[in-house]
Amino acid sequence: MSSHTQEELELAALLIEALDLEDLEPADINPEAPLFDASHSESLGLDSIDALEISLAIAKHYKVQLKADDENNKAIFHSLRSLSSYINVQRA
Amino acid sequence: MLASGSACPDSSDLSALPALALNAPVALIAPYVPQQTLVIHKERQICQAEFLRDLQIVSAGLPDANFALNLCEDRYYFLLGFCALLVKGAINLLPPNRQPLTLTELAQDYPGCYCLFDKDQPCDLPSINLAELLSNTAPETTDTPALPLIPAQQIAAIAFTSGSTGKPQANAKCWGTLAATARLLGQRLGADLIAPTIVGTVPPQHMYGLETTLFMVLQAGMVMHSDKPFFPADVQQLLQQLSSKAILVTTPIHLRALINADLPMPPLAGIISATAPLDPSLAQAAEQCFQAPLWEIYGCTEAGSMATRRSTQTAAWQLLDGFQLTLTDTGACASAPHLQVDAPIQDQLELQDDGRFLLCGRNADMINVAGKRASLANLTLQLLRIDGVQDGVIFLPPPSSQASNSQQEARPVALVVSELPEKTILTALAQRVDAPFLPRPLRKVTALPRNETGKLTAAALHQLWNQLHEQR
Repeated sequence: MSSHTQEELELAALLIEALDLEDLEPADINPEAPLFDASHSESLGLDSIDALEISLAIAKHYKVQLKADDENNKAIFHSLRSLSSYINVQRA
Repeated sequence: MLASGSACPDSSDLSALPALALNAPVALIAPYVPQQTLVIHKERQICQAEFLRDLQIVSAGLPDANFALNLCEDRYYFLLGFCALLVKGAINLLPPNRQPLTLTELAQDYPGCYCLFDKDQPCDLPSINLAELLSNTAPETTDTPALPLIPAQQIAAIAFTSGSTGKPQANAKCWGTLAATARLLGQRLGADLIAPTIVGTVPPQHMYGLETTLFMVLQAGMVMHSDKPFFPADVQQLLQQLSSKAILVTTPIHLRALINADLPMPPLAGIISATAPLDPSLAQAAEQCFQAPLWEIYGCTEAGSMATRRSTQTAAWQLLDGFQLTLTDTGACASAPHLQVDAPIQDQLELQDDGRFLLCGRNADMINVAGKRASLANLTLQLLRIDGVQDGVIFLPPPSSQASNSQQEARPVALVVSELPEKTILTALAQRVDAPFLPRPLRKVTALPRNETGKLTAAALHQLWNQLHEQR
């Protein structure tokens, strides 16, 4: 697993809290593993309800509104790393 | 069978549409007003006549097979595929989920079955991309084809729900039944609205989305918006772009997210919610947020939509016109002129003197997550099919451990006896089960609390579950 940035750890903690992933620590989430593909061994196996919860948590915490009409949505939501860098760009 | 392409003089008056008899043909679009907008698709306004021209192209491009899995994600392509199969006399198969394994297993029972899709090819079955078919085919003529008439008894779709036996349960839906339900819903919810735009956060493949976002468009004078906005900001942006007030078709989960997002929303003509009972305080907040009445729809697999309620005003459900409820020893049963057979109701109902009813208890085996239904018995069966799982059960956790959601929307959890790591079991289960139904969490135990007869009671499961929780 490649190492986390500080922003990634912060986002990971937010996801764990928002989604009740009580078994996980922020550092447990591989920043490059897919968030949604449950057939991938390191994926969190999230689904669309989780995506809604994540969008609410991110809006409250970072004041960034996620949108699905973006063609890059799959890329943005791919991993902790891609989501974190998208938020960083939006906040800048 | 085809009718003349002209509109009836009084066809824009919805209340003038007759109740449907099951033995008569029913026009594909009613009221038929050729120049009226039927669909808003990627900023293109498609009138009824243009839709019929697109439909002609698509139906000419489909093979002569009896069955197709309609997996189109874009609502307009789904509509085109649905109607093209209908006019060809073929049947739309609506699978319970999009897992490749589910699709290929399902197709085995339907000879010649192929897939209709519009984005990513869903599985190895023979497939046709409707978006490409439409954009690559030039129309042969600019004339408007005649409005198709479809026999009411023709089977339009087979909707599959996850059954308790491990195999998806097939529910055949007649064209006339679907059309009649939409007219009844339209009269109840949209009687004083003129061609409202229907915006849905739900997919068209499930019965609720099919009856509202497709059939209220074909049969109740409403306009389809083909988008399926997802995040609160998407919903806000889409609604702000519309020139007239819309009806939002959604679920309790989405409504909660929309309200919690705290974004200013434009006023709507109405909100429709179904799949799980809505908390009254959430209904109140939704009506304030969108400045519009909120209606809940109650339905069941066999009967489709059968009752509505204005949730901020009453807990009692009012049957759609023509429905009758009968209470028997084994439960309630619904009948209506547009149903071929009486429909058994799985939930416990209490009939009131005024003909309305209260919902007293939901069928304990069926759960709803994100607008999808699943049977806990079937989920457990899928778990037990995994090599290396010795025993296991999937169930709803005791209410106290789920702080955020109401019980009807709670995610299932699992207890498993196995040498395999939790993650391996979940990965294997994900091959057969939609993501919302994957147990969270899945815990390994040395044995399940089975009683002398081998049964697992909810009480024993909840007790063990609470013990495991306290230990952590």
